[in-house]
Amino acid sequence: MASVVANRSRGIQSLGLKGVDPETCMIVFKNHWAQVVKILEKHDPLRSSGGLSLGGGVHAFRSHGLRHGAIPLDEASAVQNYVEHMLLLLMEEESGVGGAMGPILEFVIMENVMERLFVWSLRRDFTDQSKLEQLKMYETLIGQAKQPLLHHKPILKPLMMLLSSCSGTATGQAGEHELVLLLHQLCCVVSNDPSILELFFHSSEDQGATNFLLFSLLVPFIHRDGVIGQQARDALLLIMTLSNDNQRVATHIAHNTFFCPVLATGLSGLYSSLPAKLDVSSEDWHCIQNDEWQQEPALVHFLNSLEFCNAVMQVAHPSIRDQLVGYIFNGFLVPVLGPALHKLTLEEVMTTTAYLDFFLRAITEPALLHTFLSFVLLHRHDNVHILDTLVSRINTPFQLGTVSLALFRTLIGLYCEDVMLQLILKYLIPCNHMMLSQRRVVNERDCYSVSAAKFLALTPSCCSPDIVAPPIRQLDSITWTKVTDGAQPGTMEKEACSSGQDDSGHSCVIGSEIHLDVSYLHYLYDARNSISKCMRACRIWSAPYDSVTPPPEDKSRPRVTSQALTDVTSSSGVELEWDDSYDAGSSARARQEEEEEANRAAASVANDPPQHIQELRKTATLLIKGSYVEESEFQNDVMVYDLVAQKDTNESADQKHIVSGHVTKDNVGPGNPEDSGETSEIGNGSAQPDVEKQNGVQTEADQNSHDLHAEHDEDDLATQYEELIRILVIEAKSPTRTQQDLRNSIMEEEEDVDFSTLSAETPEAEKSPSPFKTKPHSGSINHAIPFTGPFMSVLLSRLENMLENSLHVNLLLTGILAQLAAYPQPLLRSFLLNTSMVFQPSVRSLYQVLASVKNQIEQLAVKQKDFPALLLAAQQCLLARETSVTLQGDSLSAGKNVKIRSVQPKMVVPSHRTEVYATVVFTEFLKELAAITQEHSILSYSPMEE
Amino acid sequence: MSMNAGRKRSESEEQGGPGDQKASPARPPFGKKQLPTIPKNAVPVTKASSPASATQATNGTHASYGPFYLEYSLLAEFTLVIKQKLPGIYVQPSYRSALMWFGVIFIRHGLYQDGVFKFTVYIPDNYPDGECPKVVFDIPVFHPLVDPVSGELDVRRAFTKWRRNHNHIWQVLMYARTVFYKISTMEPLNPEAAVLYDKDVQLFKSKVVDSVKLCNSHLFDQPRIDDPYAISFSPWNPAVHEEAKEKMFTHKRRPEDQPKGLQVSGLSWVKPGSTLPFSKEEYPLQT
Repeated sequence: MASVVANRSRGIQSLGLKGVDPETCMIVFKNHWAQVVKILEKHDPLRSSGGLSLGGGVHAFRSHGLRHGAIPLDEASAVQNYVEHMLLLLMEEESGVGGAMGPILEFVIMENVMERLFVWSLRRDFTDQSKLEQLKMYETLIGQAKQPLLHHKPILKPLMMLLSSCSGTATGQAGEHELVLLLHQLCCVVSNDPSILELFFHSSEDQGATNFLLFSLLVPFIHRDGVIGQQARDALLLIMTLSNDNQRVATHIAHNTFFCPVLATGLSGLYSSLPAKLDVSSEDWHCIQNDEWQQEPALVHFLNSLEFCNAVMQVAHPSIRDQLVGYIFNGFLVPVLGPALHKLTLEEVMTTTAYLDFFLRAITEPALLHTFLSFVLLHRHDNVHILDTLVSRINTPFQLGTVSLALFRTLIGLYCEDVMLQLILKYLIPCNHMMLSQRRVVNERDCYSVSAAKFLALTPSCCSPDIVAPPIRQLDSITWTKVTDGAQPGTMEKEACSSGQDDSGHSCVIGSEIHLDVSYLHYLYDARNSISKCMRACRIWSAPYDSVTPPPEDKSRPRVTSQALTDVTSSSGVELEWDDSYDAGSSARARQEEEEEANRAAASVANDPPQHIQELRKTATLLIKGSYVEESEFQNDVMVYDLVAQKDTNESADQKHIVSGHVTKDNVGPGNPEDSGETSEIGNGSAQPDVEKQNGVQTEADQNSHDLHAEHDEDDLATQYEELIRILVIEAKSPTRTQQDLRNSIMEEEEDVDFSTLSAETPEAEKSPSPFKTKPHSGSINHAIPFTGPFMSVLLSRLENMLENSLHVNLLLTGILAQLAAYPQPLLRSFLLNTSMVFQPSVRSLYQVLASVKNQIEQLAVKQKDFPALLLAAQQCLLARETSVTLQGDSLSAGKNVKIRSVQPKMVVPSHRTEVYATVVFTEFLKELAAITQEHSILSYSPMEE
Repeated sequence: MSMNAGRKRSESEEQGGPGDQKASPARPPFGKKQLPTIPKNAVPVTKASSPASATQATNGTHASYGPFYLEYSLLAEFTLVIKQKLPGIYVQPSYRSALMWFGVIFIRHGLYQDGVFKFTVYIPDNYPDGECPKVVFDIPVFHPLVDPVSGELDVRRAFTKWRRNHNHIWQVLMYARTVFYKISTMEPLNPEAAVLYDKDVQLFKSKVVDSVKLCNSHLFDQPRIDDPYAISFSPWNPAVHEEAKEKMFTHKRRPEDQPKGLQVSGLSWVKPGSTLPFSKEEYPLQT
């Protein structure tokens, strides 16, 4: 019936009733109604009046079975025809003068037309079909009426009855669609005219219903896929917006509905249907890109709901927002995402990390970000901070490491004070990382580009701007223009003469041509944008972080002194096995422990999650050739690997790789094609002769760099030692770690000590006395132990190994460091960029690490004959890549590190020659850092200024 | 405050060392290069480098990036000048070279009251390791320390040795201003003025008045140096200036002059005074 009305009305609209006299319309309407009433009354069992009591509602009709025999078809269709025309007339009626009701509407209300029609429809067979027709009728009526209808109870009431008949019953797909459509329309009306909202509430009450029908009917569709879901969410958002101004609606939703729990648990449900492992296209893959998620329906579905949460947070009343935040935290993040981040295989963990990164990029609303970030920064899973776990994963050589880097790039890009505080700033605030005298330097600016010059001076000689092949440089080298006109007019010459100086006196004459790297101008430009963007963003931060605010000495912050350390450690009851380890550490024992370590690493993965994480990390870090790691919990793994590396120097590189490959295979187990692929690649790689050679060289380089830092090692170890104790104590104090962890750490500490004795035995290494014999390790130091935090430490550690990193890891890594360097906080800026600052011996600076990389490169360049040619080719490859990247409009990918004009590569550098690509990236990174340093020097001192 | 400190310093140094070394220092081999600022719409001159010039620089990266260091050192100096908000002094680096700044100084009281003196600052190209910058007045003001022919102010007496990190160009400008309020006649560049000031102040005063008049009468002259960024004066023209004046008076300290659409805002839930994340209770409320 109504569908016909709807269709016809659309058709007739063009015809229009505009020319028709309203009085005529009224007469027609009345006549039609009279005819309808005749039929209605004929079949009315009560036959009493038009004013039916509808208090019982629909269900009453149903249960009492008031259907009164069959209604003849011809009568039914007659009613239908009349009603069609009547509705058409009603829709087309304009409201009267001053917004008064039109006569037809008035009549409809007086005669209670809609309600009687609804009852009539009930009396007939009230099927899904007739319900659908009713829904359509109202949808058309409300959508197209030219005067407001819903204010009038005689229209609203039957509508509400219809809606309440829809609740809780399956109405079929068409019915659902129509229902949501109508609800959406009603929400639109309500949001345009909030006064109607009250009526909706009242009419609910009339029926004894405590729920806000309009709303509760929509809730089941929240997570629905496709158009219905979208429409329902749009409609709900309209109500959410209303809730912000209407306390009653807000309270109702927060207290009487399951909206928030449904929303949050729905996320969990949708999350569980996401693929546990992503089909990763290549080794370079590090995050979920736009074109990727759109092809994964489950991800699209999840994102729709997540974005809806985001939108709700944006518009809803604070009480709803707060409740939703709580449910998302406790109903999704903690029980679902937390365990997912600690799954059993590398791939699953990697996938979850990529999801987390993706979610963080999708969310924009501060309240929702707050929830996610407090989960990442503060939540503990199995007594380990999620953040610690995530940070430690940066150091895994697998794709997990790359994806983790991408996650941190996202985190750092949020300009969130809390994130930066937890990752870095809290370690810098005490100013322990620098010499006391340096505190006043923190706020100094690099006025004369001294630091910039020092960074650029690290450019390896093979990449020096003077040497680098002309084909690239030529294109973009610019010549400072010779200004012989204009700047040196007659007046100037006169002045020059008058001041008695023969060289023009005022040095405005331009001399010889200087070729400049135009790419550097781009870096300066980018640096300026990046810094000023960051400065703007950081204006809302609570403090400038300038070594004054917050104050380095905070009384409320407990300071860890060595005295306290010994006190607590002795009272903590932990057996301190390291006590006897530093005098007795024999090499046999060291070897034994290596084996144990390897065994443990190779052990089956079917362990409890917390232990498993440890295993995962260990096997992973075993593969890293870490020549340097600052204090951190995985320090020990790298140290152990160093032992292996050093021991293996005498043996062939082949063997080493097979060994490590073996370990991986064992650990990951079968059924992981991705990882076994990686493993076999390592194996194959080592089979190639030139790689073998290269590896040999690299190991030597590592060792050389070790020797370079030999003088630091002593201090380093001592402080590392102290640091470990400190960590242990803190953990013992606040039971954040399991006994197992403690024990592990202590065992690793043992290995740490063993390392020093073993390295003394290795012929290449300089014999140095054990630090613990020369230095008393307790009671002598009264300051907290200098440490710039695990995040900084792991970044620098990966940076130092950049020659072995894949191109993409290096691009990510340098991208993150460049972003960090753009932060205007003097503490961070001075730590990263001030090359003249004096730090505590145990603290490695970015500059030192870069210097170490430079040395590695210089040594490579000397030893590898094909290095210059490869370098050139790599530059060309990267140029071509950048061009294609720019063409694709891929702004996120870190192509910005390479700012040279496009040249077609003549030869392709094999991707396993990571050191060649790394050298190019390194050189460009130096420029990027120098540019950032220079721009800092001319931008404001601190974000709080100006 | 900082202004006073600066004045004191320059005064004390003024008394301490009469800088009389005027001989030009030996020029470094790259002495004649000029560093242009890079205007927004300027097209960089691209040119094939000859092998000879590509290899001529031997001192590593410095030769390639030296101009950038100089440019940024000067930009940093300029930033400092802006920060100082020196009363009555306005400077602007020239379009063609960051080593040449145009300036004007307004004297608001004292003997030189109402004087408006245009000047040019010349910065040595080995800045900050060279001599101190020079200040040359467009019209030689009648003043004991201003060369009556060249218009150069004797700056060196205040900065006998230019020390990087200690001396800044804003101090030179500060000095150029001080000179008109506190007149020194020691070892003058203009002996006549010095003698008059010591012997016949009245005559000195009238000469100064004449000099100020002369300077102000040339105020609307074309700038001496043809440069897009040279400072030029023109008579009051409401059509041109009224709007600018309005803006100046209604200008807020923190205008929304940032380009819209580039609005970035960071996040913070750290309570001021705390160093703990999420120490703030409330979420930032939407407005």
